[in-house]
Amino acid sequence: MNHRRLPKVALAIVITLAIAVVPLLSSGCIGAGPGPAPSGLKVGFSICYTGVAAEKGRPMGNAKLDCMKYINEELGGIDGNQIEVIWRDNEYDAAKAVTIINELMNEDCLFFTTNSSKMMAASMEIANRASFPGFTVFSSPVCTHPPQHIYGQMPDYGDDWASFATYYMDNIWQGSGKPKMALHLLDNPTGSGARDAARALAGDLGIEIVADEEHSATTISEMESLTRIKALNPDVLYISSTPQPTSIIVQNAVDLGMYPGVAIGCGHASFTSVLVELAGTDAEGVFGVYPTVNWGDNVPAMAKMTEYCQELHPDDYGNMDYITSWAEGLIVAEILRLAVENVGVGNLTPQAVEEHGFKKLDGFDAGGLHGPVSYTQGDNRLSKSVRVFQVQHGDIVPVSGWVEAPLIKYEDFDWFGQ
Amino acid sequence: MPTGIRSYNYAQDMAIFRTRAHWVWLGVLLACLFTGPLYWGNYWLGVANLIGITIIAAMGLNILTGYCGQLSIGHAGFIAVGAYTAAVLTNRFEMPFLVGLICAGFSSGLVGMIFGIPSLRVKGFYLAISTIAAQFIIIWVINHWTPVTGGFNGMSVPPAQIGRLTFISQGSQFYLIMIIVMIVVFLAKNLSRTRAGRAFVAIRDNDIAAQVMGISLFRYKLLAFFIGCFLAGIAGSLFAHWTGFLNAENFTMMDSILYVGIIIIGGLGTIVGPIFGVLFIRLLQQLITQISPVMEGTLPNLPAGFTTGIGPMVFGIAIILFLIFMPRGLAHRWSLVRASYRLWPF
Repeated sequence: MNHRRLPKVALAIVITLAIAVVPLLSSGCIGAGPGPAPSGLKVGFSICYTGVAAEKGRPMGNAKLDCMKYINEELGGIDGNQIEVIWRDNEYDAAKAVTIINELMNEDCLFFTTNSSKMMAASMEIANRASFPGFTVFSSPVCTHPPQHIYGQMPDYGDDWASFATYYMDNIWQGSGKPKMALHLLDNPTGSGARDAARALAGDLGIEIVADEEHSATTISEMESLTRIKALNPDVLYISSTPQPTSIIVQNAVDLGMYPGVAIGCGHASFTSVLVELAGTDAEGVFGVYPTVNWGDNVPAMAKMTEYCQELHPDDYGNMDYITSWAEGLIVAEILRLAVENVGVGNLTPQAVEEHGFKKLDGFDAGGLHGPVSYTQGDNRLSKSVRVFQVQHGDIVPVSGWVEAPLIKYEDFDWFGQ
Repeated sequence: MPTGIRSYNYAQDMAIFRTRAHWVWLGVLLACLFTGPLYWGNYWLGVANLIGITIIAAMGLNILTGYCGQLSIGHAGFIAVGAYTAAVLTNRFEMPFLVGLICAGFSSGLVGMIFGIPSLRVKGFYLAISTIAAQFIIIWVINHWTPVTGGFNGMSVPPAQIGRLTFISQGSQFYLIMIIVMIVVFLAKNLSRTRAGRAFVAIRDNDIAAQVMGISLFRYKLLAFFIGCFLAGIAGSLFAHWTGFLNAENFTMMDSILYVGIIIIGGLGTIVGPIFGVLFIRLLQQLITQISPVMEGTLPNLPAGFTTGIGPMVFGIAIILFLIFMPRGLAHRWSLVRASYRLWPF
């Protein structure tokens, strides 16, 4: 080699090595793979802080981080061990969710949580392959059927439909014969979860599904689809969506003279204070299924949650998603407490936490914020209870007690997943 | 070429790597790249895999838009076609990964050609609109062809497998993806020097003049759509096996716009442009993801969640700044660095 080139080659090697070593230094570790947490109790949160689901992801992210702060600072962590949180904004982007789940496993997190069925769907295959447990707050049946290492904090979108349909038949339907129900579903798993449940149970409940319309998360008018629905003269309209599209559907239904007249029911992803804010008086009388209590209810966790919310994130006060994720934080702590109690903090692995944390949950009371949290063999929904609410005078008011959503064995149906 | 180096025959003149220094650089790069899994964790390997997949897709868009001048804002849709083709073939029909990979490329290429037909009559903004239509039509079909695609529920995808080798870990997938990236880059580099590549450039620069020179617009425009979308399909197949689960929501309009941003930042009509663009955007995304929690913790007096807007803002600002100050992208900057290297240390 030409001697004058040697310095250039040496420089090239140094620069290339420097570039290659940057990730090593950034990651702060060498090697990978699940193993005991080196210190503390690490959990990972993949949060939809930005992106199209930010209206829900942000209050939920705020709530779970606030709850972790409360547990660490006021309760002293878990048996004196602080919970170490690694949170990342997944931007509601599947590719980013995949890199995040890899990071959380790489960082020796014991388990992870996320907010939405889409983000869990993006993460779950990698997590299941690695036996890395996690749970999602909002879930569609596809996340937990068949049950593997992914759990649902609350009943899924299909359970919402089943619970509302049961309530409707028992308490609202006054006519004879089968009531006619129209579905208006978001064009993603939030909507398809409700569709799957209707497909599985409508016949048994004595409900005729007359329409199955779809809308997008960014819809600005549903006059056309509602006109088609109106022509079918339904008795009840069920919406499984998020607050903004739901508010548009409700307002359009009012404009078309459909509502009041038909009953309107919503799944829990639709039914928050944001819906009432957006739809205004048009939302009056709308029913909704929700798995938590409401703000101001007299339950043990309400005072502390309200204190933290008003101090740290006052804008989220009144948003039921904040309640949901505060409860999520309490469940995270309970899973860790059970695992530490059963195997000791030094022996914790993701697999140990699943066996001795997740699967030991038995009637845990999340401060009364939602139904009891239990693991049942073959049913990866941790809480199975919902309540029916109604918008009355601008407030979201419970109109039923806790209703346990039955397990729907979707995997037994030939059409599920097809 | 450094001063004093000359070619003695046509083969030397056409070689991609022409000097010993080139080969040394290549060796060092490959050595660093392929020893990466030994000291990178799962996280960085996952990021590298995403970068590799994105490079393949961006390379396809660069051939279509950068070389041939046919603007496409439906690239994520074409990636989706490849992803679902691979998923359906390997999951439902239990076909080998390589069959799924090749079929993914061809199916995307054919769909791309269909949506490329309007390019014979329209160009610029009008062609962009027709490719946007592709994005929406493809996603609608995926969502509603439930017996095949799983509809809104999506479908799982088995790990890639070649013979007895199963690519489950991020490290093993890294080797698979990087080898395919190298093949794609090599082919793209050579394509740009072929008759077809020169025809693409001629069409981009002035399609009427190209036609007058005897270049068949019909043939070469559709060929550009086929090649660009073929690579999108390959990227889609790798993405499907990488994530293990597909949902049409993974292929959004924003992703299509992101790909256009990537090739603008990297430099249109160059081979290294998409690589630089992808590295810039994907690493920037990771940087923002990493620093956001730190900033939230260290600046408690600022409103909670203030970091959540950083990502979209930085991306938007980066595009604007590149268009103003570096319209020829990072590839041009790289060529200036190389030019100065040739004269170094003088």
